[in-house]
Amino acid sequence: MRAETLKGHLDFLLLAILSDEPAHGYRIIEELKRRSAGAFDLPEGTVYPALHRLEQSGLLASSWASGSGRRRRVYRLTARGRRGLAGARRDWRGFTRAVEAVVT
Amino acid sequence: MNEGYLRELDAELSVVGIRGSRRRRILVETADHLRESGDPARFGEPRLIAARFADELATNGARRTALFSFLALAPAGIGYALLVGLNRPGPDITSARTLSVGLAAALVVALAPQISLAAGLLAIALAWRLRAAQVAPAAAISLLHRRVAVALGAGAATLAGVAVYAVEYSRGLPDWWTTLAFAVTATAIVPVAVAAAALGRTARLRAATSGPGGDVFDDLGPLLDRVPLRLRGRPWRFCLLFAAAVAVVAFVGGGLDEGPRNAVAEFAAICFGFAILGRFLGLRR
Repeated sequence: MRAETLKGHLDFLLLAILSDEPAHGYRIIEELKRRSAGAFDLPEGTVYPALHRLEQSGLLASSWASGSGRRRRVYRLTARGRRGLAGARRDWRGFTRAVEAVVT
Repeated sequence: MNEGYLRELDAELSVVGIRGSRRRRILVETADHLRESGDPARFGEPRLIAARFADELATNGARRTALFSFLALAPAGIGYALLVGLNRPGPDITSARTLSVGLAAALVVALAPQISLAAGLLAIALAWRLRAAQVAPAAAISLLHRRVAVALGAGAATLAGVAVYAVEYSRGLPDWWTTLAFAVTATAIVPVAVAAAALGRTARLRAATSGPGGDVFDDLGPLLDRVPLRLRGRPWRFCLLFAAAVAVVAFVGGGLDEGPRNAVAEFAAICFGFAILGRFLGLRR
């Protein structure tokens, strides 16, 4: 999938992945690839600016976690992020239903 | 190999104005990521990653700073309205300790709040237009910074003007009014200073996305298009209409004694302000 196409939906995808459990950046990117069966394969570094922006907007929160002698930034969804995700899911389902109805 | 990549990313983050704890955090996260993946090439070119950080953080930061600054100016606005309301009729304008200083302070106290309010509202309008943008054009972000800076600068000038006015005209003002004026200045300047510091931090980021910054017709398009006077793309027509509307309000509010003088002064001040600051604030291109 083209990176530009994916960029428009990146926030939604990141919120959806973090709705299951908190995760660090690498894990989020791996999960994005795994769930999309490799279709969502962005330059990995471009996910971090989005994570920082979503945190700045209050949709995500993050904290340092230590383990195996390393520090990692772990992201989790905030209450506002959950509400945002619910709204984005509604919009997406409405959109895909409408597209399906037209193209099939 | 990772060390070389991190050094390059560090330098590129510095170039786009990302410093301090944000930069350290990005580097720690990147180092952790690269230890897992072992492939800097998949992470992306350092220059592009740094630019993406700057674009996204600058867009978001500018929007948030606009809103925060508007809220930070609220105590100054409320304090100013209170002081003006309690200073009727004011002292004789020629009774200042030093006439030139007193007149300058009175002029600042009359004009600066209007500039601050106008620039603040324009900043909010632009922040609203950019509300859904992950990445806004650098020109739009720069325009938003300028509007916020003018709003905060004029707000601070208002507060300073109030304090100078209180000193200069203290002989013709009740003691409680001058005390209240100093208290308002000392209290309301704090959030303005905090907002100015926030603006300084976000303005350091060097966004690079190309595209037009737009103007007031892009910000208020849906609203202005309802006015049946074909204002879009005609900034001076917009200015004259707005100045005339404010002049009518000033005329009605001032009554027969002061109304005509106030209306002419407001009309002239708005046109003058538009000529001086119009391009800077994106009112005309």
